[in-house]
Amino acid sequence: MATGLNSSGVDARRHGSSLLLSHRARRVQRITGLLGSGFLLAVTSLSTFAVLFIFFFIARDALPFFQLQGFTQFFTSAHWYPSSATPEFGSLAIFVGSGLVTLGAALVAVPLGITAAVCLSDVLPFSTRQVVKPVIEILAAIPSVAYGFFALVVFAPLLQERGGQLLQVASWVIGAPMAILGVVVAGDLLTDRIPAGARSGARWILISVLGAVAFWGLWRLGVSLGGITISSGTNALNVSIILGIMALPTVVSVAEDAIQATGRELREGSYALGATRSETILRTILPAASSGIMAAVILGVMRAVGETMVVWMASGNAAQIPQPWYNMLQPVRTLTATIAGDMGEADQATGSSRFHVLFAMALCLLVFSFICNLVSEWGVRRTRRKVGR
Amino acid sequence: MKTINKVMAMMAVVGMGVGAAVAADANSIVVDGSTTVGPVAKAFAEYYMGKHQSVNITVSESGSGNGAKSLINAACDVATMSRPMKNSEKKAAQDAGVLAIEHVVALDGLAVIVHSSNPRGNLTIEQIRDIFTGKITNWRELGGRDQKIVVISRDTNSGTYESFNELVMKGQKLKGAAEYVGSGGAIRQRVLSTEAAIGYVGLAFTEGVKTLQVNGIIPTPETVIAKTYPIASPLYMYTNGRPKEGTALHDFVNLCKTPEGKRIVEDTGYVPVK
Amino acid sequence: MRLETRKLLDRSFTASGVLAIVLMTSALVILLAPMFIRGSGAIFFTGTVEHRRLMMEKFERGNRPTIEAEIASARAAREPVYRMMAEFEKQLEAMPATERRKMTTQLKELKKALRSLLGPAPGEIRPMLMRDQFGQTRWDRAQVKLGRVMFREEWDYSHPERGSVKVMKPRADDFAGTALAPLFPYLSANLDKMLLPAKTVYWQFLTDESFDSHFFGGIWPELLGTFYLTVGAMLFAIPMGLIAAIYLTEYAPENTFVSFLRTCISTLAGVPSIVFGLFGLAFFINTLGVSQSKSVLVGSMTLALMILPTVIRASEEAILAVPRTFKEAALSLGAGRWHTVMTVILPAALPGILTGIVISMGRAAGETAPIIFTAAVSVGKPLALWQVFTHPTPALSWNIYNLATEHEAMDEIRHVQYGLVLVLVMLVLLLNLTAILLRARVAKRLRG
Repeated sequence: MATGLNSSGVDARRHGSSLLLSHRARRVQRITGLLGSGFLLAVTSLSTFAVLFIFFFIARDALPFFQLQGFTQFFTSAHWYPSSATPEFGSLAIFVGSGLVTLGAALVAVPLGITAAVCLSDVLPFSTRQVVKPVIEILAAIPSVAYGFFALVVFAPLLQERGGQLLQVASWVIGAPMAILGVVVAGDLLTDRIPAGARSGARWILISVLGAVAFWGLWRLGVSLGGITISSGTNALNVSIILGIMALPTVVSVAEDAIQATGRELREGSYALGATRSETILRTILPAASSGIMAAVILGVMRAVGETMVVWMASGNAAQIPQPWYNMLQPVRTLTATIAGDMGEADQATGSSRFHVLFAMALCLLVFSFICNLVSEWGVRRTRRKVGR
Repeated sequence: MKTINKVMAMMAVVGMGVGAAVAADANSIVVDGSTTVGPVAKAFAEYYMGKHQSVNITVSESGSGNGAKSLINAACDVATMSRPMKNSEKKAAQDAGVLAIEHVVALDGLAVIVHSSNPRGNLTIEQIRDIFTGKITNWRELGGRDQKIVVISRDTNSGTYESFNELVMKGQKLKGAAEYVGSGGAIRQRVLSTEAAIGYVGLAFTEGVKTLQVNGIIPTPETVIAKTYPIASPLYMYTNGRPKEGTALHDFVNLCKTPEGKRIVEDTGYVPVK
Repeated sequence: MRLETRKLLDRSFTASGVLAIVLMTSALVILLAPMFIRGSGAIFFTGTVEHRRLMMEKFERGNRPTIEAEIASARAAREPVYRMMAEFEKQLEAMPATERRKMTTQLKELKKALRSLLGPAPGEIRPMLMRDQFGQTRWDRAQVKLGRVMFREEWDYSHPERGSVKVMKPRADDFAGTALAPLFPYLSANLDKMLLPAKTVYWQFLTDESFDSHFFGGIWPELLGTFYLTVGAMLFAIPMGLIAAIYLTEYAPENTFVSFLRTCISTLAGVPSIVFGLFGLAFFINTLGVSQSKSVLVGSMTLALMILPTVIRASEEAILAVPRTFKEAALSLGAGRWHTVMTVILPAALPGILTGIVISMGRAAGETAPIIFTAAVSVGKPLALWQVFTHPTPALSWNIYNLATEHEAMDEIRHVQYGLVLVLVMLVLLLNLTAILLRARVAKRLRG
């Protein structure tokens, strides 16, 4: 196209003051333009069609499994004995394992992440935000294998040796501030209706009673948690916490974007009506940003589901459904870890179901992340539309 | 325009490089397969590369099954395996035009290991089987402490797992709660740090943990050679066809028959072949 | 509700937000602290004379006469140990059979412990494995090994209600009254003379090859492998990503096909990393046959695919952030569309694009799952440039996994594992720091 431009310049001079291009030059320019954008389109399509290729190749190797083994056993049985003489490919336990770990990660990442996102966008002053942002970026940048190494080498032995005490400390670190906040707020709310004269005294009495109850409860909880012995440090709890931390940056940054996207006008309108900051955020901003926040949660969940190294290294890889199912202290096996760990034995040439079952799992992961992606995209778009940007 | 030209040129160069470099050179040996044979293979590689500077040997430990697969796909020169090749694998190799030749590099006894605090000193094969199938779930049932048994197994892609399955489990299935880890070293590490754990490893991985007597016999080089220890198996290397004499590959797979090779095998903790 | 209550609610809301941030920051600190503290131990540590001997024998490093003098003085300090052993062996022969058998086993254990502390005894045949040829090279490990020499672990099962109790039995008691009795006080008093600990800075950890499956030496092959993989991935991802971004921002019409393309890109961003690995194996190796087996090239291509969406998105954003006026000015001066892109928009968007590229470089360097089946091996020599098309390579990320879970003696080489983690984390953090600085520059430029 640069040549097109040059020739047009030359043409322009030749034709005197006329800015019109010659017929030929115009055609050359049009063709080079078309060719150029065609080339660009081709390269763009190449890179984007990669995802179709991925779908195609994973599905191509996954379908034979369903043809050979059908769907029922794969999705409903928890018997995972892929390499025995009479192989069984019941992957229910593995799906449950993935689900449990992801649920745990979401329990860590979602409350923490959304609170942090609100705090970042609306509470903290600009200078503090500049300090906190890199923290999130670093958390996001640390390679997953480093997280896995931490989970396996530092966290798992710690959990195994002083798991009870650790849970106790954690319950205090999270519980105590929450209890203080809850008690003070509850005391204030409950004494709201009492006439002003007696209010202050009543409030203090109520707060001390509630406080005592709360701390007694915390203490009891701490003691019972402290009595737990964890027989194996590589378990669902370990992985959940680490995955939660890994998913945090995603949740925080997407949620923060969504909250910021609601714009100044909403906030100013709410403040003008006399609302405090917390009321503005809870009643106005969060509902307006809800679909964006949902997108944040979904992206966080996707990160947790798709993560391989941490679960492979530190989940224990036991293909069992924990008893009871929410028992986080037992080892579990996940889809990603199964793919990574079992690919060694699997082979097209030998035991073909053994090979194709892993692709079937990969296909499930793919479909899941595809659906999540569509939903989250829809969420982000909806927030934008809602606030009119 | 200039930039795009540069980019195109760059890509072209890369592309041509790909074409030119596909042919593999003779002085490199790619070893893939068992993590159990890994220590031997790595020590052999190091020793051999120390003697012959021009030879590059890479060793991956992705499991016996993967080793067989790589050999069939001509992706490696030597497949290390801690179990013999299955018939299905041999057939697949034949179909792919690969003639898998077996070399026994060492003997290995599968040691059943527990935490060194465990008072239990011996188990019978039946008891071990019952523990691994989940019939026995507490050490108390075996007269030990009141602790839930933590069962640790090698990943299903390992030859050690297959050998254990064949020699001990006799076709019965491991319980679902068994934890799977990627290598003998990892089992040792887990047993080392878990009081109630039981696992099985190659002889090279027994440092610091308590090795149980099986049917009253402790695995040692002597009992393994004499075949009195009930769960013992050879370790293999497989090559495509018989390697030509004088090639690096030939020297490498036959290293185990030289005195130095035998000492390497011994030092890594396995039993050299005669 | 009263105003005070509402204010209180407001304040507690703020407090919980701050709590969340504090928790997040402390998580980062807890995560990074062990990596930095123990990771730096791979480079800065108290090395023994064995370390200096290793450096001299393997790399010709250090001043030969000084080190030889050190070795001689260490040998002199060790001499009484071996003399006592020899004396004891003489005594042993005179013992009654049952006692002799018991003592022989104990002597065997002691010898093993001693050998792992000090290396092979003088006169012993040189062992084959390097880990047996040298004593402890690190003073911290030597202390642990000294503990093994001094004490024997025993378990007391006599109180079943308390479970098994660990008892550390001094070996000195086992050998009381024999020629070996003075060995133990001598060892603990003179270990520093036998091993001559000295502060060591081992920068070459980064540039040395590893020996005896990472028992000794450095991490050069891994570092180089990661470098090749990352640069290779960028070679594929940058041109493709840039072109796609230019097309999508400057050329693409708003039609269904283009929005389909966009959906594809965002789906690609959500594909789990292990699936990329499977795809790389199934497509690049098994279908296209880019290389016969795992190779750096295939690994790079797989990684490139993984980071492509990040590169596209970042470049798109950077291009869109260029003020419209720039483009309009260029167009009004008669520049063609392509000309405008190349001479006006790209230069203005360059820092933003670079930011995205640098961040995705960090991701490519750190990712493990895609290279498991496509590029990574646990042990290998550093590759020459032309070998990247056909050879697999060790890489930082994979070897962290490998050494931490598959190595035969993983607790002996914790310092190498932490060293690998630290190097990888530092690498990624440096890349991110570059990105942050770049972004600050962009912000300044767009403001000013």
